[in-house]
Amino acid sequence: MVKIYVVDNGGQWTHREWRTLRDLDVETKIIPNTTSFEDIIKEGIDGLVLSGGAPRIGLKDELGNTSEYLEKADFPILGICAGHHFMGRFFGGKVTPSKTPEFGKIELQLIKKDRLFNGVSEKSIVWESHNDEVSELPEDFEVLAKSESCKIQAMKYSKKPFYGVQFHPEVEHTEYGELIFKNFVNMCER
Amino acid sequence: MFNAEKFINESVLNLKEEITGKALIAFSGGVDSTVCATLVNKAIGKNLVAVHVDTGYMRKNESKEVKKLMDKIGLNYHFIDASEEFYKDLKGVIDPEKKRKIIGVKFIRIFEKVAKKEKIKYLVQGTIAPDWIESGGELRDTIKSHHNVGGLPEEMNLLLVEPLRDLYKDEVRKIAREFNLPVAERQPFPGPGLAIRIIGEATKERAEIVREACDIVEKEIEDASKKGLMEIPWQYFAVLIPVKSVGVQGDRRAYGYVISVRAVHSIDAMTCAYSLIPHEILDRISTRITNKMKDKVNRVVYDITNKPPSTVEWE
Repeated sequence: MVKIYVVDNGGQWTHREWRTLRDLDVETKIIPNTTSFEDIIKEGIDGLVLSGGAPRIGLKDELGNTSEYLEKADFPILGICAGHHFMGRFFGGKVTPSKTPEFGKIELQLIKKDRLFNGVSEKSIVWESHNDEVSELPEDFEVLAKSESCKIQAMKYSKKPFYGVQFHPEVEHTEYGELIFKNFVNMCER
Repeated sequence: MFNAEKFINESVLNLKEEITGKALIAFSGGVDSTVCATLVNKAIGKNLVAVHVDTGYMRKNESKEVKKLMDKIGLNYHFIDASEEFYKDLKGVIDPEKKRKIIGVKFIRIFEKVAKKEKIKYLVQGTIAPDWIESGGELRDTIKSHHNVGGLPEEMNLLLVEPLRDLYKDEVRKIAREFNLPVAERQPFPGPGLAIRIIGEATKERAEIVREACDIVEKEIEDASKKGLMEIPWQYFAVLIPVKSVGVQGDRRAYGYVISVRAVHSIDAMTCAYSLIPHEILDRISTRITNKMKDKVNRVVYDITNKPPSTVEWE
């Protein structure tokens, strides 16, 4: 059984991420973002999901020990919303308030083929809920998807299997949400 | 995938261990509390006492139906009509968070009274995941204080037992189907009831109006979905907006409230898309509401917002 934990940054959908993973038969648990990397490693995990967060957390909050995870992990990490913002900041990109925040239904457009989006249509419906966004891509990252108002909807690190997504694949109304999670789970399988 | 049978077995075992003596269950008659009551009943049998409170903000004939349901499941129960008390406590209260908290405390005080008389230590609640997620605390922002979590008083004399805490509604429904409960497919209804479907002060008069309007919306939509004209939404109801607008009814000037029709699609209430009600159904709903409510309502609008940015209920 693949083991993927969800790091809780206080998002409304943290528990939904846990549920989506559990529904995919992943061994999963929600852990506080103050958990040390050592403690995570001890449990022999195969991947991490960094949850979304409470309002405005994406701009400057340290998200507990998240920087340690990004520095030391070699297993796949998926950052969602605030988790994505933090990943952007950690690797030297910029996060700023969105000119046009997005809430609810948005059309996602894939720009580049990638394992994370295997089987996902070039245009699909995703659900959003953000006031901030990664406005400047960090070095060694590439953009995988965009929307009308947000040019970095998904990004990928070239040196490690790290992904950041602005939209929320864990909620029911995101058309290919479960499939995106499944693709991530596949990447975590050793 | 969620396995209802496995959940039932594990949870009955846990409950037997967790509860020593008598327990009281807050019983609204919705899917969550009915599933919860059935589970706990399986674990501790007659040591479970159900309490249903008619708050005055229940839907049309709802409390009567709940009584029948409690008889049917074979629960040992108390039926308490506290509607006048609730109307009194909510007099002049406009803020939605205040309303929710007053209602939450009121429920607990009523339960405590029963518990004292019957020497009960435990309070069982059908709390599910969105209730505590949206109530916030620690890292998480408070979206709204659910009466059974964020609305609880700081001091209370009962120990909480919440066996459904990690589940979402669709999973609770699976258990309900496993138990063959008649309420398995019932639409969700908030604990504070119609009090939060009345924007502003939830007076008795306004409660009567929104109760009728909700009944019309429910009947028309259920009828339309039976005829295959639309999919049955996750939740569908009316909201009273305390804004008055000018109309003309029978050559006479009218100046009444606005009613909003709300219907959404979801599986877990964590995200929702507004339902596409066919125009002919909206038409019937509008005409029936304004005719029935005469000069009290002369305008009906249709809420077309998803969650996020909105929530299902308006308060």
